[in-house]
Amino acid sequence: MGNKRLLLLNGSSRKKGTSYSFSRTIKLLAEASGNKAEIIHIIDYFDGKENFDSLRELISQNDIIAMIAPLYSDTLPCFDIWLLEKLADECGNDLKGKSFFAVGQCGFPDITRIEPLLDSCRLFAGETGMNWLGGLAYGGGAMLNGALLEELGKKGENITLGFKLALQEILQDKKIPSKSQELITIKIPKLLYRPLAAYLNNNARKQAREAGNVDYARKIYLE
Amino acid sequence: MSLVILDAMEAGNGISNKLKEELLQAGKEFSYFELRDMNILPCRSCGACGFKSPGKCVLKDDSHEILRAIARGNTLVMLTNIRFGGYNYTLKKAVDKFMNLCLPSYTVEHEHLLHPNRYGSKFIVGIGVHGGDSKDQENCFKRLVENNAFNLQSEYRTLILKPSEDMENVKQEINSMIREVC
Repeated sequence: MGNKRLLLLNGSSRKKGTSYSFSRTIKLLAEASGNKAEIIHIIDYFDGKENFDSLRELISQNDIIAMIAPLYSDTLPCFDIWLLEKLADECGNDLKGKSFFAVGQCGFPDITRIEPLLDSCRLFAGETGMNWLGGLAYGGGAMLNGALLEELGKKGENITLGFKLALQEILQDKKIPSKSQELITIKIPKLLYRPLAAYLNNNARKQAREAGNVDYARKIYLE
Repeated sequence: MSLVILDAMEAGNGISNKLKEELLQAGKEFSYFELRDMNILPCRSCGACGFKSPGKCVLKDDSHEILRAIARGNTLVMLTNIRFGGYNYTLKKAVDKFMNLCLPSYTVEHEHLLHPNRYGSKFIVGIGVHGGDSKDQENCFKRLVENNAFNLQSEYRTLILKPSEDMENVKQEINSMIREVC
């Protein structure tokens, strides 16, 4: 049985999207081994629906903090950067000595695209004196579209197992093992990218038809 | 040839002033956006810019004038303090809207799945201002600019400046950048 407290920051503007689904599974896994975990939505603090002082209070109560976020334009969404800047500038002492890890997810299958997001989290941890435990990258998050991992069959089981292995180390303040990344990585041979693009483009045309035959290639800012 | 400058620096800093000065002196056509004063709402991942309102965010904010300038321009210059090896919040609020510069369909380029450009490729310059000595921060910043350029299938250049840097050096660096991109 553990006795750690985890604060999971959902870094997506969507409260029931893939980042939330990942946060939820990590929460359930942590609680299953006797720890306490809570999910908060960064967008609520950005929008002023939640008070920033209450977040400081939450941070002081937790041992481990995690950022679970989608990739927007190659790194964290702007409201997540807003939060990290605010925390680093105003709450450095509250963070010192706590542990921090991150999970980034993007729509593209190539997980190397997520590295700048994880680098930002690592550098934030370094700047605030936190103990960086590492990051996990998931490519293909858009295809999950917020589905609960237990509803995804083998794929969901592998992601859950990857998170479970990571948590076993995280809860002992140890680095995320490489095996976790291997388990959550979807391996799509690059040879299949063209057929995949053709399939996705077919879906795009279908969506355009359903939206009333819109011209999705419209150059609206040149009109 | 027209340049679009996205300036995410604080008011009254020497580097922004020097950049404006040198652009004016070079007689280049440019649009200059001081992002700190602009109302740019965050992307809510609603997906409307894909098919409901193709290429245009449904939120009413100042990002539309920026995207219009980028669509019509050839070169995009982004000036920011480096925060955590990347862009500061002020710049990122604009960059998050760049999805509108791409189509919701897919292409394969250099063995990567990408969204095709809506307005053709641009030359992208990322100018990062960083007070410390961390090569890690600088390298991460360069990597981020490179990734943005790759996604927009564009050429790029990065420039790292120190806030304490001698203004004569800043002038030379900026002039060299202007000569290269114009």
